[in-house]
Amino acid sequence: MTDRVHWSDRLQRFDRRWIFLIMGLAIVVPLYLPIGFPIKPRPMTKAAFNAVEELKPNDVVLVSMDLDPASTAELEPYYRAVILQLKRKNVKLAFTTLWYQAPPLVERWLRETVDVPIAPAGTPGYVGAPDRAYVRNVDYVYLGFREGKQNIMLGMGADLHHVFDGKTDDGTPLDSIPWMKTSRSLGDFKLMVLVSAGSPGAKEYVQYVQNRYNLRMVAVTTAVSTTDLAPYYQSGQLLGIVAGLSGSAEYEVLVGKPSIGVEGADVLNAGHGVVIVAIVLGNLAYFAGRRRKRKAA
Amino acid sequence: MTDVATIDIIGAWVGIFLTMCILSFLYGDNPFYKLGEHLFIGVSIGYIVVVQFRNNFYVKFDRDLTWWDLAPAALVAMMFVKFASKQLVWLGRFPLAFVIALYAGQSITGLVGSDLGDQIKTASRSLVVHKIDLQTAGANELSNVPGVSPAIATKLAAERKDHPFESLDDALTRPSLTDSERADLADERGVLVGTDARATAAGGRNQIDWFGVASQVLLLIALLTGLLYFYFSIAHKGAIGRVSRVGVWILMIGFGASFGYTVQGRIALAIARAQDVRGKFMSPHDAAQIHGEVAAIVSAVIIIAGIWLFGRHEKRHRAGATPPAEAS
Amino acid sequence: MKKTLPVAFGMLVGCYMVAEYFIPHHAVRDLSAHVLEWGGVVAASAYVIGGINLVQVTWPKIRRREPDWGFKVVLLGSALVMALVGLPWRSLYGTHEPGYLDPLPGPDLAAQKNNKAIVFVDAPDDVVLTIGPITTSTKHMLASCSQRSPLPCVFVDPGELSLKAGRSVVGYDTFEKKVNLVAGDMVTLAANPGMRWGADGRFRTWIYDHVFAPCNATMFALLAFFVASAAFRAFRARNVEAALLLGSAIIVLLAQAPIGRWITTSLPHLSDWILDILSNGSRRAIIMGAAVGAIATGLRVILGIERSHLGGDS
Repeated sequence: MTDRVHWSDRLQRFDRRWIFLIMGLAIVVPLYLPIGFPIKPRPMTKAAFNAVEELKPNDVVLVSMDLDPASTAELEPYYRAVILQLKRKNVKLAFTTLWYQAPPLVERWLRETVDVPIAPAGTPGYVGAPDRAYVRNVDYVYLGFREGKQNIMLGMGADLHHVFDGKTDDGTPLDSIPWMKTSRSLGDFKLMVLVSAGSPGAKEYVQYVQNRYNLRMVAVTTAVSTTDLAPYYQSGQLLGIVAGLSGSAEYEVLVGKPSIGVEGADVLNAGHGVVIVAIVLGNLAYFAGRRRKRKAA
Repeated sequence: MTDVATIDIIGAWVGIFLTMCILSFLYGDNPFYKLGEHLFIGVSIGYIVVVQFRNNFYVKFDRDLTWWDLAPAALVAMMFVKFASKQLVWLGRFPLAFVIALYAGQSITGLVGSDLGDQIKTASRSLVVHKIDLQTAGANELSNVPGVSPAIATKLAAERKDHPFESLDDALTRPSLTDSERADLADERGVLVGTDARATAAGGRNQIDWFGVASQVLLLIALLTGLLYFYFSIAHKGAIGRVSRVGVWILMIGFGASFGYTVQGRIALAIARAQDVRGKFMSPHDAAQIHGEVAAIVSAVIIIAGIWLFGRHEKRHRAGATPPAEAS
Repeated sequence: MKKTLPVAFGMLVGCYMVAEYFIPHHAVRDLSAHVLEWGGVVAASAYVIGGINLVQVTWPKIRRREPDWGFKVVLLGSALVMALVGLPWRSLYGTHEPGYLDPLPGPDLAAQKNNKAIVFVDAPDDVVLTIGPITTSTKHMLASCSQRSPLPCVFVDPGELSLKAGRSVVGYDTFEKKVNLVAGDMVTLAANPGMRWGADGRFRTWIYDHVFAPCNATMFALLAFFVASAAFRAFRARNVEAALLLGSAIIVLLAQAPIGRWITTSLPHLSDWILDILSNGSRRAIIMGAAVGAIATGLRVILGIERSHLGGDS
């Protein structure tokens, strides 16, 4: 007589490669068959949007791009949406990065989103104000990358020109650009937009310079860091947080140009569903197995 | 629109092939994964060394050097001296001591203000939460009302100027709101956590949000019990133990929320790879020339065939290596 | 002495970093700017040392033909290629202007009558041009605007005009110039942006975009699959605490995706409430506790009590 394997034992010994395959299908299939649930922005995201909406033309904004190619999933949709929002406000932009993986990525994004209009007049599916092409070293500057984590943050807080040796990344003297000549430290920026994938990033900016120089900051962060940063939003140290891919999708909706973020958030339905089903099934199998063993004993 | 250069189409295919190589690890360790992994590490090291050199050393020589630059030069020399002489390896402790002490000093001054001062200030706020008054609240505060987007907040601000709100029902059904906006606002009505609990059109008379008050009390309890849990200088027994246990439960709920966000973050990484292979991060014109899905399928076929052949080769190699006595 | 001197040096630096926070004098601010810069330079050197160390560890494995030594050759080879293409070669071969402007004599009467100026373009098909508000490429321009030149061209409004010619991909030179035109003026923009070598060059950017970035992203993307596997095999509600954790995780997971709101509009509110109240309360306790710990450790380092980071006594 053969022993029949109980379903709970069979489930617990399930080859995990089948789970990998199911997860892969859950990610790929919705890209071709989108569900399209509406996205409603949450208060944290709305607060970040409002902080940028309060800017006036010719205000100077620092955008700190602390990310790597792996985090573009969650941060790029927000970046594109916020740059559109900033450009249609006609503010001056200073870009920098504290991550060594970022410079080529930042250069490419500047060419694709700042040097050219993102949503010129007549863009299909977009009802907001159009933006224009920005001119490097006139409307925006790219300061470049410096290693040093909070040293660089503190250095920028004290003397930004010294940190970047008085030049932009392409060698243009900062003093030759009128609005950069008067922006000598972090306190001179009306707002800081932190595109943050981890450390150093939004948390370090809050810990080391926000309180010291009384800075206004909004941050987009990977979902992993959301619970770490949420207390700072509650205390007002961050004016708003855009949390991960779902937050980026919400921001796209607020700006009026749904794009890759909204598409990606749609896929989360299936992805999260797989994880929840996995948790539930795993626990069912565990408790069923435990009960069977207790009965047998 | 310009056509994508052939070298860039090849590059996109290389990227997709390497993506599939690394994903093949999900089946098991194999030579394709090892190739992708070693290529990635090698390129990373080459990239890191040059980017650090260019952005942190080379740029310094573009400006006039001063006596101040002797100090970092000395520290860097001390770091590299270990490659020249084993006797002088101890000099490498100076730059290490410098960096560690630098960060230590910064932590002391930075964290006191931000992580202690501001957080204690927030925790010490009044527990009384008033409802958001639609008559007088600013745009930021209005956005905290459930269902009120920044666009709706702007409309409400304009509406109340002309004609003050008589009630919540009146405020949320004004003519300037579109049908979909009114539907969104209607969805959020509710006496516990919805609009009726959080907002009022009272016009100056402060009304208390009782659920908000209860939440603030719970927030304070969460903080205090959490702090007590991490205080190990007294034994967690009796009343202290029970309170500490409540702290653990609240911590676990918080960690569960963290886990939920972490899962979202991880899945988003995989979603982005799939979108990238499909060409969603480039213009449709460029994506149409690259045929990312075709590249992915071709790469997958090559890798699967390669893994199968490699597996067969390994089996034969092992069978050939087995001693004759064991083989029978 | 070999440990005491570095400890004393660390004490000096640490005490200075604490004191400088309270001293607003400009001399202290200037010194701090330099000290912080040194920190960045030392941190950057650590990466270079890491690179050298990798070669020191990998080369003996290749020499001894250890298992997978072939992959180590790939590792070192790709590191060498990436390092070489990123060196500042431009400082060796110099730069030359990637384009120039050539004004044509006399006004074009037809253009002058229409209050327009003409910009002719002499550039390869794949050059991307920004002529004032217009962004285009050579092959998408008008075949001819005037009998004065057979080159492709575009009509522009008179006034100050900014001209830019580059390639659509990163790694090429860019020509940029401003010119003042009146109605009837004609100018030829000749540009053939050459490929760059070095940190912002074509090769390095190609390797970054098509090797580094996809590998970097995919390495992390593997985590999505492992999280699903771990959720099935390891996340058990064995006790009250674990059950609370999993319950809260499921609520947040559902609420983060758009489907949560479709199930019930209360779910996103509940998730936000968990984040704002329960998670923030506990996280605030952790932040404050960690801050006290970091401050205590910082003081121990500055006062020389903590010396383990400086290694043994040898």
